[in-house]
Amino acid sequence: MKAIYILFPVLVLLAAACREQPDEKQLINKEASLPEDFNFSKLGLKVLSSSVNEKQNTMSTIYGNDLALNTAKAGTPVQAGEVLAMITWKQKKDEHWFGAKIPGNLQTVEMIRTSPDAQKSAKVDYQRYEGKKLTLKQDTTGNDKNIRYIFEQHPSVMP
Amino acid sequence: MSAVSQTPLKKIIISLVFVVLGCLLILQFINRPVIENPPVTGDLQAPQEVKAILKRACYDCHSNESNIRWYDKIAPAYWKVAEDVKKGREGLNFSVWSAMAKPEQAAKLWEAVNQIQAGAMPIKSYQIVHPGTKVSATDLLILRNYLSGTVTSKLADTSKTNALDIQYDKWAKGAEAPKTNLPVALNGIEFIPDYKNWQVVTTSDRFDNNSLRVVFGNDIAIKAIKKNHINPWPNGAIFAKVAWDRLKDANGNVKTGAFKQVEYMIKNDKKYASTAGWGFARFKTPKMLPYGKTRLFATECVNCHRPMKNNDFVFTMPVKH
Repeated sequence: MKAIYILFPVLVLLAAACREQPDEKQLINKEASLPEDFNFSKLGLKVLSSSVNEKQNTMSTIYGNDLALNTAKAGTPVQAGEVLAMITWKQKKDEHWFGAKIPGNLQTVEMIRTSPDAQKSAKVDYQRYEGKKLTLKQDTTGNDKNIRYIFEQHPSVMP
Repeated sequence: MSAVSQTPLKKIIISLVFVVLGCLLILQFINRPVIENPPVTGDLQAPQEVKAILKRACYDCHSNESNIRWYDKIAPAYWKVAEDVKKGREGLNFSVWSAMAKPEQAAKLWEAVNQIQAGAMPIKSYQIVHPGTKVSATDLLILRNYLSGTVTSKLADTSKTNALDIQYDKWAKGAEAPKTNLPVALNGIEFIPDYKNWQVVTTSDRFDNNSLRVVFGNDIAIKAIKKNHINPWPNGAIFAKVAWDRLKDANGNVKTGAFKQVEYMIKNDKKYASTAGWGFARFKTPKMLPYGKTRLFATECVNCHRPMKNNDFVFTMPVKH
């Protein structure tokens, strides 16, 4: 009988300890994360804008290098040397906050690189990577529309 | 055991019981706090089923209609009851609800329901003594449905698009936040202009308060994410969360509107020990006006983050880039 007086508090403490500190990997939003070998962060791009498409239930962030940011902010024509990226996720409910949606499954990463061109202000190179593994899409239909969309976006105000 | 050795033991126990009871009796008269119910000046207005849940689960500490049961009045428990009521009313008081502006009311209610959902409220010890205050899964659903119903996903109106146009024009022409003589919050935290050059931790679409957000992390925070060392976060890690108006067009495309604020969380378990190991600050509008009326404004931040105490007080789930 006496053992229970000792055991009970110990068990309560153990139960409390088990609830503490969830595994750190569980706190990472894995389904939204980019594959490590894609090396996106090594590009060192900065945030240009953020948006949501309610019909598609997606959210996107556009990133750019300094040149792309400056051109977009000034509203001047595209120049050679710009790098832009748009990442799109399906939205999901934020399990930590009722009232918020956060990135869910990774859908696409679209990359734009501009280089010097004899005829135009710059040559635009566009790639579209799809799915969790970000496989390069070969089909080029719709590319022009996608490129236009990314260039048209105004940067988010970040004083 | 023999009867001879039992008698003194019994005597000791009996006298101990009397001593304890005596002490308890004396406790009732020393340092006795007073819990008053001031007049209700502007009670929360909500549908009856919603209000019934809040009254039952929250009003003992979060209103001027505290129902203190006889067993709550026994010290030393009574001291905690008085403290809970005092702090509860300071954080949220449904009896003076109408004194708050509409957006503030909405923010408080969403926070309250989130505190309940996370199991942080009602306080566990209170729930054990007062089983009737438990919020069931059905109750929670009623509260959530009510809140969802208050959200009006309106199209961007001209006041919001105008606000953006004015801001954007100035910003595109080179207007920047202060770089010298940095604004300082009342707890001594300075505005950090470099936030926009940091990497992204996550984005968030807040339909509860009509904003879009990007959470940035400094190098220490981003490295910690890479290594999964985020519970606890390392000292020196900083988040900057930027919020903009949520501007929606007729096709359901939502863009960022006017810049509303940037909020920082700076990890330092010693320097900011009194606020859960994090230094909190919020700077509003492109002028970066520090938020808070007194030095204690960060208590508000900590209270709201408390349900995340097992996640080092961080709501954000980082996305690896």
